[in-house]
Amino acid sequence: MSEAYFRVESGALGPEENFLSLDDILMSHEKLPVRTETAMPRLGAFFLERSAGAETENAVPQGSKLELPLWLAKGLFDNKRRILSVELPKIYQEGWRTVFSADPNVVDLHKMGPHFYGFGSQLLHFDSPENADISQSLLQTFIGRFRRIMDSSQNAYNEDTSALVARLDEMERGLFQTGQKGLNDFQCWEKGQASQITASNLVQNYKKRKFTDMED
Amino acid sequence: GDLGPFNPGLPVEVPLWLAINLKQRQKCRLLPPEWMDVEKLEKMRDHERKEETFTPMPSPYYMELTKLLLNHASDNIPKADEIRTLVKDMWDTRIAKLRVSADSFVRQQEAHAKLDNLTLMEINTSGTFLTQALNHMYKLRTNLQPLESTQSQDF
Repeated sequence: MSEAYFRVESGALGPEENFLSLDDILMSHEKLPVRTETAMPRLGAFFLERSAGAETENAVPQGSKLELPLWLAKGLFDNKRRILSVELPKIYQEGWRTVFSADPNVVDLHKMGPHFYGFGSQLLHFDSPENADISQSLLQTFIGRFRRIMDSSQNAYNEDTSALVARLDEMERGLFQTGQKGLNDFQCWEKGQASQITASNLVQNYKKRKFTDMED
Repeated sequence: GDLGPFNPGLPVEVPLWLAINLKQRQKCRLLPPEWMDVEKLEKMRDHERKEETFTPMPSPYYMELTKLLLNHASDNIPKADEIRTLVKDMWDTRIAKLRVSADSFVRQQEAHAKLDNLTLMEINTSGTFLTQALNHMYKLRTNLQPLESTQSQDF
């Protein structure tokens, strides 16, 4: 049962995202509230409600609040902070952090931003003074939810798992799938399917193709 | 190596694959291994349930052996169904212990754990999930150290 192609895994949890990873691309597209420190000429055409008007060449004035995707905010952010200053989204702030530390299992992480852990880890690049607390909170939330993910993924064989997975964020869903795969492989072995030869998915279509060749 | 000659009626030791093959061709009768006995397995199962750590198993391949022998030669093994249930109980107990141990390992963020007397089958069943979870945890942990400023390109 080997895969036909290997996906590039997400690097979002680590120091830098992987350029080619689809998960990272999706994650990076999430929006981040941001405040401009300098005026941006001619960008007012995109943000009509914030622009200073046609006279000043449609500039976005200094100090206006925008919502930019993460990849754009990361690119524009600079240590000397000339262009942007980033505000932390609510779920990474003090209030929600206490909620997470109280009971991590109750929270619906999918609603909070389906890429909670990845986005949070990349947020640390913006040098906020709360970085240490954010990373600690991410870690503790993960540890708290680990047990439930493990139990639910290893025991739900051949059932509809959508109710179990609904509150997990993307990274946790990946973990859940690994657990399910382990379970399925074990059951496969028990049933004896492991020693039967089955046609690979790549080869199953060959017969169909031959048909069309003959018709031509 | 060389095997045989086989004289009918005399017990002989052969590799498992050959034994299964001969049995499928109906040329032999299999004798159950010494540990595959109801009282012995019951004692082992109760011992496993009492202990918090893993107890030594009769053979590092007990799951595979049980499955093969019970599938092909259940007529040669007395009380095959009970044996199947007992072995499954032992397996469930061990897997549950493994999960508890993994959970406490993650909770206390320990760096090193030693588990004795685990067979390969158990390791493979829960291994992938555990290693992936620990990978994620490691990455989240290294975020705790302040990120060194990345070398961005200067235009």
